[in-house]
Amino acid sequence: MSIETMAALLDDAATGAKAIPQLTLGHELDVDGAYAVQEALIARRLDRGQRLVGIKMGLTSRAKMAQVGVHEVIWGRLTDAMRVPDGGRLALDGFIHPRIEPEVAFLLGEGGIAAVAPALEIIDSRYADFQFTHPDVVADNTSGAAFVIGAWQPVPAGLDNLGVLLEVDGKVVQAGSTAAILGDPRRALDEGRALTARYGVALEPGWIFLAGAATAAVPLTPGAHVRATVEGLGTTSVVAS
Amino acid sequence: MTIGKDKIDEAVRLLRDAQETRTPCAPLRERLLPVGDVASAYAVQRAMTQDAVAAGRRIVGAKIGLTNPAVQRQLGVDQPDFGVLFADMAAWDGAEVDVTRILQPKVEAEVAFVLGGDLPHQQVTVADVIRATDHLLPAIEIVGSRIANWDISIVDTVADNASSAMFVLGNRPVPLPSVDLRLCGMVLEHEGEPVSVGAGAACLGNPLHAVAWLAETMAQAGTPLRTGDVILSGALGPMVPVTPGAAYEARISGLGSVRTRFTP
Repeated sequence: MSIETMAALLDDAATGAKAIPQLTLGHELDVDGAYAVQEALIARRLDRGQRLVGIKMGLTSRAKMAQVGVHEVIWGRLTDAMRVPDGGRLALDGFIHPRIEPEVAFLLGEGGIAAVAPALEIIDSRYADFQFTHPDVVADNTSGAAFVIGAWQPVPAGLDNLGVLLEVDGKVVQAGSTAAILGDPRRALDEGRALTARYGVALEPGWIFLAGAATAAVPLTPGAHVRATVEGLGTTSVVAS
Repeated sequence: MTIGKDKIDEAVRLLRDAQETRTPCAPLRERLLPVGDVASAYAVQRAMTQDAVAAGRRIVGAKIGLTNPAVQRQLGVDQPDFGVLFADMAAWDGAEVDVTRILQPKVEAEVAFVLGGDLPHQQVTVADVIRATDHLLPAIEIVGSRIANWDISIVDTVADNASSAMFVLGNRPVPLPSVDLRLCGMVLEHEGEPVSVGAGAACLGNPLHAVAWLAETMAQAGTPLRTGDVILSGALGPMVPVTPGAAYEARISGLGSVRTRFTP
């Protein structure tokens, strides 16, 4: 199966909200090949008028690696169509089995991090049962589906141990720390720069950088009011419908 | 109605022997303590405390356990438990702990409250706790279980002094208003690698709630919390099994850090 064909399968799975079998079940696909599929997948979206607005890191915490059984940091691409306004509504009928997790977002400037914000990422594997290998998840744009960014804040002196809460309908369902993100989310930016450079992508000023999840993801269901709070950075929220 | 004195004495003997011979014992539930009979389990704990005090050990405060809803569900309970802290359970920040002294050791990071006032009332508000708190310290609790394989039910752990063993207090006191006790991040590192993370809200929504619960419970039991008491308010993240020879450091946002290490 060609890279284009695999990209088309994943693109259709996402737009049609219908899970597909893992690509690696019937085909040879290594990690480099998988990043080529991801690039082709995003190219299809850009052809439809979407704009590249940043990148996201995945599997930056031990909890996450254990949850999905892949033990290497991965990265994916963010387009403007994936962004939900802070406090906005997100219709779940466009997703297969969405989950949500609290994150820290960086706004990239000329010389590094220009601003920081609390964020929520909605992930939605296009594979059946949310099961995948390392190349599968890379090809699937690292399960990226949607994201919400809170108000940008000045970069605090330390980012390595900020408390992070994930609340659903006012109840704390996950409590963690930014330390879960590679010990310090700033390390995720260093990793992200190095990993994307390997595939010819340079991080650009003005881009959004999602550093990775601070807690495990929880299933997102219609009607849920979800809020992420990061110590010192405030909150961001979304309503699923 | 609690269990008879003979059964209490037998439970005390089993737990003491387990510690003295460094050999965990079978669970106490069913054979000595009826499942769910928490009052009898506290009667065992009280008997052990009385023996300890009679032997000259000094009570310095209390620890709160089962402050995480997930852990409560595991043990089928809907409230925390508590144990007694003795002065000889304290290890210094960074000092080496004899790992053989503790049965099946695990570590967890907590906020320690040091009281500057009494909490004598049987009904307690968070405001009472805030007023009575002199300062906070970061703490590592080293828990252990005299019950083999940590196969504990609520009555096993309550009788076993809430599975307590030792504790390490940081030594830079922090005033309560300078910490956001709900949002403060926690990371526990094993040899510099994060192995447990969490936040203040993981402890009953806020460690202040846990201390208010303890204050009410202790006052109702006739042994209210007093000025100078040290309270370990409950874990901010999952506990971690101890590796002999390893060093651990807990950092709590706004509270600083505290360390412990174990003999090989």
